[in-house]
Amino acid sequence: MREHFNQEIENLKTSLIKMASLVDEQVGRAFDAMETGDIELCRGIKSRDSEVDAYDNLIQTQCENILALFQPVAVDLRFIISAMMINNQLERCGDIAVNIAQRVKKTKEYHSIMLESEILTMGKQAREMLKRAIDSFVNNNCELASVVIESDEGVDKLNKQIFKFLIARMQAHPDVIEPCSHLIVLTRHIERLADHATNIAEDIVFYVDAKIVAHKKKLDKFNRDEVN
Amino acid sequence: MNSKFQIQNLNFYFNSEKVLKEINLEIPANKILGIIGPSGSGKTTFLRSLNRMNDFEITSRIEGKILLDGKDIYNSDFDVVALRKKVGMVFAMPVALPMSIYENVVYGPKLDGINDKNKLSELVEKSLSAAYLWDEVKDRLKTSGMRLSGGQQQRLCLARVLAMEPDVILLDEPCSGLDPISTAKIEDALAQLKKEYTIILVTNNTKQAARVADNTAFFLMGEMIEVGVTKQIFTSPQKSETNDYITGRFG
Repeated sequence: MREHFNQEIENLKTSLIKMASLVDEQVGRAFDAMETGDIELCRGIKSRDSEVDAYDNLIQTQCENILALFQPVAVDLRFIISAMMINNQLERCGDIAVNIAQRVKKTKEYHSIMLESEILTMGKQAREMLKRAIDSFVNNNCELASVVIESDEGVDKLNKQIFKFLIARMQAHPDVIEPCSHLIVLTRHIERLADHATNIAEDIVFYVDAKIVAHKKKLDKFNRDEVN
Repeated sequence: MNSKFQIQNLNFYFNSEKVLKEINLEIPANKILGIIGPSGSGKTTFLRSLNRMNDFEITSRIEGKILLDGKDIYNSDFDVVALRKKVGMVFAMPVALPMSIYENVVYGPKLDGINDKNKLSELVEKSLSAAYLWDEVKDRLKTSGMRLSGGQQQRLCLARVLAMEPDVILLDEPCSGLDPISTAKIEDALAQLKKEYTIILVTNNTKQAARVADNTAFFLMGEMIEVGVTKQIFTSPQKSETNDYITGRFG
């Protein structure tokens, strides 16, 4: 019974790693296009998103089967719950790769504005967060997951800075309102990507350490305010 | 927490073999305590020590204290008959007595001196209802208890215990031979019974403990490794042995 169960868990983990690797590749191509302005790199990102979606369905079915047939508990149950949540986050990351590619195409004439802002720096940070989140999942590494969670604040700060920069640019040069609007949306996608990486890292902590760390800062503040 | 049992430094021996080791446990009233663990972990011995069923083993010896409502049940002046009235037990194998369903239920109360027919009839309906059996047998109370199905016989045994109006019900793998529907009926009955009784359930079916127990204790090789709220035990056990057992890595 346990051997059968282990095999199912192994299959699930393999699916998740394959999906994570595909999503990482998709995000990587979108960011490379953003960095170089080479929109040829965006080709194929949208069509390959169907593969990501297929993994999403496969993993959901695998989790459902394991829950129905084995009724796992404790660490096994936490793994399945984490797998379902990580699956969901990865699928969203795949969508974001498509969104980024679309915005890169729409702003190709205005690559210079992108270079002037810190969008590329923000993109690199978000990409690194996703890579580390995936690594922490593959290696059950809570320490690395914690690094990812801590990094999110930096990306949020950059997001605000870039937003201000782009608003100022639009005020000064109304002729770039359209591309700058696309860049604001692009920045928003990158910020969401970092959020999904953070969520994956929080899921790893839940799986390995049985601790729920999601919304921790917000809830701690709420509790402090309640006491005061 | 209102404790029904307090177990203090309990050691139990068969001959020179120590089968229970330094058990310390408080069992809250009106809750279901599930006891899980692999074969030979001491869970049944522990259960049987709570109403001194182990006294029948002449080579057995006990150290430590088991307090029921604050009184040590192993004290020489403790009335063992009164103890077993107060702490009833249901076994794995349902044994219906070779008499009618009605007589099965009133057997204990009659021995205890209750002869009032109205009182006995009242006890029969109340006990069979509480055991989730009344609706199935109310029109055939004169039928032999032995003609009932296995699941019904087990509920009859439960009704027989309830007829003695105990405080505590001990159950030793009560569903081990039952089909899922009979098991569900017993579990439904237990969920209702805990409002009036303290229930201690030994089970080899960890999923059953997860479903019905408020608290769960894990025994291994005579030691109580961990006890806690069932949700915590089955989601984030503190001891690796507990985790390994409930996830099926051993046992």
